[in-house]
Amino acid sequence: MTQGLIEAARAEAQAGGGFTALRRSRGRRGRRLLGLLLPLVLLVVWQVAVVLEVRDRNRLPAPVDVLVALQEFFLTPSRPVLSGVVPFVGAGWQHLGASLERTGVAWAAAVVVGLLLGLGLGLSRWFADLTDPLLNALRAVPLFAWLPLVIVQFGLGETAARVLVFVGALWPVVVSTADGVARVPRQHIETARMLGTPRARMWQRVYLPSALPEIVTGLRLSLTLAWTCVIVGELTGITWGVGAMMFSSRERGATDQIIVGILVFALIGYTADRLLRTASRRWVRWADT
Amino acid sequence: MSTLTAHGLRLSFDDLLVLDGVDLQVSAGQTLALLGPSGCGKSTLLRVLAGFETADTGALTLDGEDVRGPSPLRGMVAQAGTLFPWLSVRDNIAFGPRQGGASDVRGTVADLLAVTGLTEFADALPRQLSGGMRQRAAIAQVLANRPPVLLLDEPFGALDAQTRLRMHEWLRSLLTERPTTTVLVTHDVEEALLLGDRLGMISARPARIVSERVLPFGRARGRHTLGDPEFARLRAEVLDAVLTA
Repeated sequence: MTQGLIEAARAEAQAGGGFTALRRSRGRRGRRLLGLLLPLVLLVVWQVAVVLEVRDRNRLPAPVDVLVALQEFFLTPSRPVLSGVVPFVGAGWQHLGASLERTGVAWAAAVVVGLLLGLGLGLSRWFADLTDPLLNALRAVPLFAWLPLVIVQFGLGETAARVLVFVGALWPVVVSTADGVARVPRQHIETARMLGTPRARMWQRVYLPSALPEIVTGLRLSLTLAWTCVIVGELTGITWGVGAMMFSSRERGATDQIIVGILVFALIGYTADRLLRTASRRWVRWADT
Repeated sequence: MSTLTAHGLRLSFDDLLVLDGVDLQVSAGQTLALLGPSGCGKSTLLRVLAGFETADTGALTLDGEDVRGPSPLRGMVAQAGTLFPWLSVRDNIAFGPRQGGASDVRGTVADLLAVTGLTEFADALPRQLSGGMRQRAAIAQVLANRPPVLLLDEPFGALDAQTRLRMHEWLRSLLTERPTTTVLVTHDVEEALLLGDRLGMISARPARIVSERVLPFGRARGRHTLGDPEFARLRAEVLDAVLTA
């Protein structure tokens, strides 16, 4: 019987698999090209607005001005600057590295704390009753509302920036983990108990893997939020970081440099999400997400 | 091999009486098929035997020891399957022995993969298997712990008639090779007659076992048994009893 099934599966693959795969491949290429259409249209509209002088050139630089600024930011050798001044020319990699490190450290901390809190909320009714009202209330506080308090508590600088990213990235991990754990099908729990899984190991062998698809969704959202929150963190008077560069550029009225910052944020955020999505497909291939 | 005994099991959910004094005894290596209409409480009875539910009153023992909570000694396979979707077939089968601390389970797993005809699908995920393969893998997962008692809750209910017949033959030969005290609940008369050594009829809810009989077909049963005049006579008789219950 088994042999028959294998042969049937092979025959099916030979009969239809090739054409189906070809159609899918063409479909993917088409969708990718479609995704490039809107940025191209925006670029044309932007250039037309510059040619028609809708705004003066300082407020609305041409795409080519931004390209030049981008080249200055990343490819021109850096120049010495006074202490406390946020540099732009040749400082791209250093700003980007600072922002990435800040985001990475704070996000990793948010993931660890979020997973622990989420597991606690999902596994223990007592813990959920104890903490749910407080956590839900804190979750509703906008990130900017934390800014003054964090600056008062930690002063201007790196720690304050990381704390703000941590706060922004924490909640999606907590909520998705708690939801995922609470939704573990009863049959998985019963099967594991029947097969002899010790109670103390249930979280590791059943709850965590079963909730992984929801957790991964939370991680992706959390990473995106961490990356967007870093700009708020970089309002705290630090010298290095893409956000810090953008605020400094605003003070100098350098719109092209601000747009460079926006492009960097968009590109890195998009890339990070794609990477995490690709990795997560391997982790949760069983859930077909 | 073990003997499973229940006496006077009674269970209510709020005001709804589901089990009303169920008595049964399954001797070592025997298969008791329990047949009853849908919604009569068959699955609840099996969940009590598995230890997932606790009867309000009555006694449940395995070889004279009280049954409390689920245990690797009583392996249950449900219609919806019990496989973990994130584990391969191989890891699903190895799951039970690993919980018991077994370090090398390769021999047990290879043996069960061969017995269930799933060797070529050892690395497949449950969602990549057909319904029949999934149920065979679920039975292998439970058997890996070598439970003295096997509880089957309409394990082939979701399969088409052709696959179901093949699964009946497969399970029958498996239970002949590895005698295991088995309780099978089903609403399929043919399944009960093909797989059971004894047949218990369950009443409409609240469930009670209203009659029991020894089935006369011996161990070697299969599609040839379907043509046996005695089988046809018994099927008609049991069907009549189910319809008039």
